[in-house]
Amino acid sequence: MIKIAELEKIYRTEEVETVALNKLSFEVKEGEFVAVMGPSGCGKSTLLNIVGLLDDPDKGSFLFNGIEVADFNERKRADLRKRNIGFVFQSFNLIDELTVFENVELPLIYLGVKAPERKKRVEAVLDKMQIMHRRNHYPQQLSGGQQQRVAVARAVVNKPKLILADEPTGNLDSSNGNEVMQLLTDLNEQGTTIIMVTHSEHDARYSHRIIRMLDGQTVTENILV
Amino acid sequence: MGLTVGMTACFLIFLYIRFELSYDSFHSKADRIYRIVCDIKTPTEVIKAGGPSWAVPPNVKDEFPEIESFVRLSNTGILVRKGDAKFQEEHSMWADSSIFHVFDFRLLKGNPKTALRDELCVVFSETAAKKYFGKSNPIGQTLLLFGEGLPARVTGIMKDIPENSHIKADMLLSMSTLTKRFNPDLDGQWGNYGASAYLLLKPGSNPKALQAKFPAFLEKRNGKEMKQSQMYATLTLEPLQDVYLRSTRDGKNTGNITNVYIFSVVATFILMIACINFINLTTARSSERAKEVGIRKVVGAARTQLARQFIGESVIICIIAFLLAVILSSLLLPLFNQLAGKTVSQGIFQNARYVLMLFLAAIGIGLLAGIYPALVLSSFKPVVVLKGRFATGTRGIILRKGLVVAQFSISVALIIGTIVVYDQMNFMRNRALGFRKDLMLVMNTDGDPGTEAFKQAIKGIPAVKSTSLSSSVPGSGNPGAYSEIENKKGDLQIANLDLYFVDFNYIDQFKIKVLAGRGFSRDFLTDTTQAMVLNEAAVKMFGYSSPQEAIGRRFKQWGREGKIIGVIKDFHFRALQEPIKPLSMRIEQRTNLVSANVSAANMTATLASIEAKWKTLIPNRPFSYFFLDEFFNKQYRDEERFGKLFLNFAILAIFISCLGLLGLASYSTMQRTKEIGIRKVMGASVRGIINLLSNEFLTLVILSFFIAMPIAWYFMHAWLQDFAYRTEIGWWVFVLAGSIAVLIAVFTVSFQAIKAAIANPVKSLRTE
Ligand SMILES: Nc1ncnc2c1ncn2[C@@H]1O[C@H](COP(=O)(O)OP(=O)(O)O)[C@@H](O)[C@H]1O
Ligand SMILES: [Mg+2]
Repeated sequence: MIKIAELEKIYRTEEVETVALNKLSFEVKEGEFVAVMGPSGCGKSTLLNIVGLLDDPDKGSFLFNGIEVADFNERKRADLRKRNIGFVFQSFNLIDELTVFENVELPLIYLGVKAPERKKRVEAVLDKMQIMHRRNHYPQQLSGGQQQRVAVARAVVNKPKLILADEPTGNLDSSNGNEVMQLLTDLNEQGTTIIMVTHSEHDARYSHRIIRMLDGQTVTENILV
Repeated sequence: MGLTVGMTACFLIFLYIRFELSYDSFHSKADRIYRIVCDIKTPTEVIKAGGPSWAVPPNVKDEFPEIESFVRLSNTGILVRKGDAKFQEEHSMWADSSIFHVFDFRLLKGNPKTALRDELCVVFSETAAKKYFGKSNPIGQTLLLFGEGLPARVTGIMKDIPENSHIKADMLLSMSTLTKRFNPDLDGQWGNYGASAYLLLKPGSNPKALQAKFPAFLEKRNGKEMKQSQMYATLTLEPLQDVYLRSTRDGKNTGNITNVYIFSVVATFILMIACINFINLTTARSSERAKEVGIRKVVGAARTQLARQFIGESVIICIIAFLLAVILSSLLLPLFNQLAGKTVSQGIFQNARYVLMLFLAAIGIGLLAGIYPALVLSSFKPVVVLKGRFATGTRGIILRKGLVVAQFSISVALIIGTIVVYDQMNFMRNRALGFRKDLMLVMNTDGDPGTEAFKQAIKGIPAVKSTSLSSSVPGSGNPGAYSEIENKKGDLQIANLDLYFVDFNYIDQFKIKVLAGRGFSRDFLTDTTQAMVLNEAAVKMFGYSSPQEAIGRRFKQWGREGKIIGVIKDFHFRALQEPIKPLSMRIEQRTNLVSANVSAANMTATLASIEAKWKTLIPNRPFSYFFLDEFFNKQYRDEERFGKLFLNFAILAIFISCLGLLGLASYSTMQRTKEIGIRKVMGASVRGIINLLSNEFLTLVILSFFIAMPIAWYFMHAWLQDFAYRTEIGWWVFVLAGSIAVLIAVFTVSFQAIKAAIANPVKSLRTE
């Protein structure tokens, strides 16, 4: 599903040049659950952003479902992204001014789904995440675990083929963390491909495969399954 | 920045208002001086005259002991010759010798008691004296007045009359010349008007009580005459300081209290907009400082201490704004004087008191602007703030949005005002006036004996298509005459008719349409002495339903009797503020205005040959001319100025409002950076984001528009009532004003919005 070869990303600021990704190559198959690990600043988030089509690489090739997307422009990337990819962030990134329901509804609005259909799908996914009773609450009124469940709900509401999770449990205590990991595992079992960045060996064990990174390069790959 | 601009504008307007209000206040006896004005009731109308008849002032003085003194002033234009130099002195005035006693016009040279006592005495202003005599001492020198060259003695030099005096003159002539030499029974003429009159009352006397005694007095002295002429006078006393701003009797040249009110409101508005901005931005910034406040609180700052700190900061900013405003004001003052058309102030430090007042106002603004954010900020709960959970309360947001709405309402109202003023100007300039005003050259010979010859002579110039001689041209003013005209019922009806003395060519030359009967013609011998032409308005006044009916009816007017021979279509012989009044025209030989219809080509050459003819035929007078169209439109100079000021204020208000909007927009987008990032990740397009951000503000602007619309309509509708002929405030005015406001707002906001929308969401979502 994802095939990356010789990918490079360099951040230039006035004083310094940071090589975030250095000729990185790897592959993720459909239905896989991959964990990415490595020390802080080694380029994990950068990788996820590029895979998630939020950012473009400087060099290299990126095949998404067999299509070269490395040179896609912003609009094409956005189009591909909103149909195929869901995101879960460490800091949840919910919009404070919108209710739980509205937050989850957002991707469907941008996909152009009609209101009655949206309502059905949002309610279905909120049910599944067991936060239906909180649908009219605002994010600030929820606990961290609940917020992350909303974020996961939002990531899956448009039934993406790929979910990217950047330290999804980083801000959660272990029981809430486990709950989220269980959700992701369930999604994976239903066929969704998942790439997850994590610092926790415990969480990484939920995955099929661990990619370890250092200074923008992959160092090892452990296959767990 | 915005505050500085606002303060500057407000300060300048304030100076202007103060100047307008200061008119005639420099007279030390101002509170005891009253102008006598006179309503003359005729069977058809009430004439609001600016002064009483000549006999009134001396006679009331003799009758009523509470009157200490009186002055009569009568404007005139006089030909003055000194050696070979000729001047047409337009700002000259006949004045009773008491003028220096009643008013504080200070004599630099000469004795105020006697300077204007004797016949043929002249007092010059400093400036005029310099013009005539340069450096030499003018006192005792002799000048020749009028065409016949009466010798007059210079008996005094007075300090130039200040700008803020409604009485304006460069040259004063002794009234006794008029009352003793030219017209010995003038002091006893109860039915002859032509001077304005001022009474100085003794201290402690009651003007109301005095005024109440006038009707009986007039009845006793003049009752019979009034009955005969059917013209009843009522005398009213106007306090001196009301003459300039509040009196409606002097036509267009004086101030207008309405404008002063409008400007006060505008100044307040502008200052308010600027303050709103300031409060808005301070509050907006305050949330950025939430963390600072949290930390300060944790380390033990008391709430009052914090509040004091914030208020202090805001006061300091205001003082800085004040200093900048003072600098900016003094830089802009010359420009502003020019715009206002008079020297409102020579330098702002001449008005030190007002600078001080502005300073206090600045501190006040600082306090006010500081209090709200101070209260909000100092009440933050440190725990909440430090946890990063701080979000500005919806209350604050609503307040700030409300303030932006207020600002834009004011701006939109000012835009609408500007458009209406300009539309009315346009309307007045383009309205068909009913006479030819283009390429019409008019020269005033002051009735010089060479006038007729001059008229004939310039007719010979090829570029001069036709000429005419008359007492008046549209816009020049004209006498009103006591007239008796046969009305529909067949009775002679008394009326005060405006009167034009014209020649045979006048109606043709000015392309005035004859509706019934005929214009004057040399073919009818009686036309010179027994014919009159009326306009439609006059015909209507006498009860005729059609112009034809009036033809052949009798008239009596100023020593003449005869028949109405023609009716002309109404034309605007006054500015469009005034409705077209009943007008009569008759042939008169010796008048003073030569008008010539000239061809557009080679204007300079034409003027030169006309001037050459003048020099030979009217050698005693300086050559001067004007073009009728410019002359007529000069009557709208005040409106034009008003419009310009309005435009400037509108631009200013918009500018300040936009600063406010920009501030709020950038603050709001900054607050929403994260939200924008999330939305983009979820698939929002750039356009979607821009719309999202802009709509929020557009709603505000549109809301302001709907608030401003009725208010602006109300005020501008009232303003338009001053014009007898006026435009409608069409819906397009609002559409235009609304579009301008929306466009400017969109432009202001979209810059921020676009910047936020194209930013890479990755950056805004990075966890630090
Ligand atoms: N927008 C950016 N501008 C400049 N440098 C960046 C930017 N984003 C990331 N970096 C740098 O790139 C490197 C990789 O960052 P990141 O992918 O966030 O690492 P990780 O997620 O593994 O901690 C780091 O050194 C980081 O400082
Ligand atoms: Mg990271």
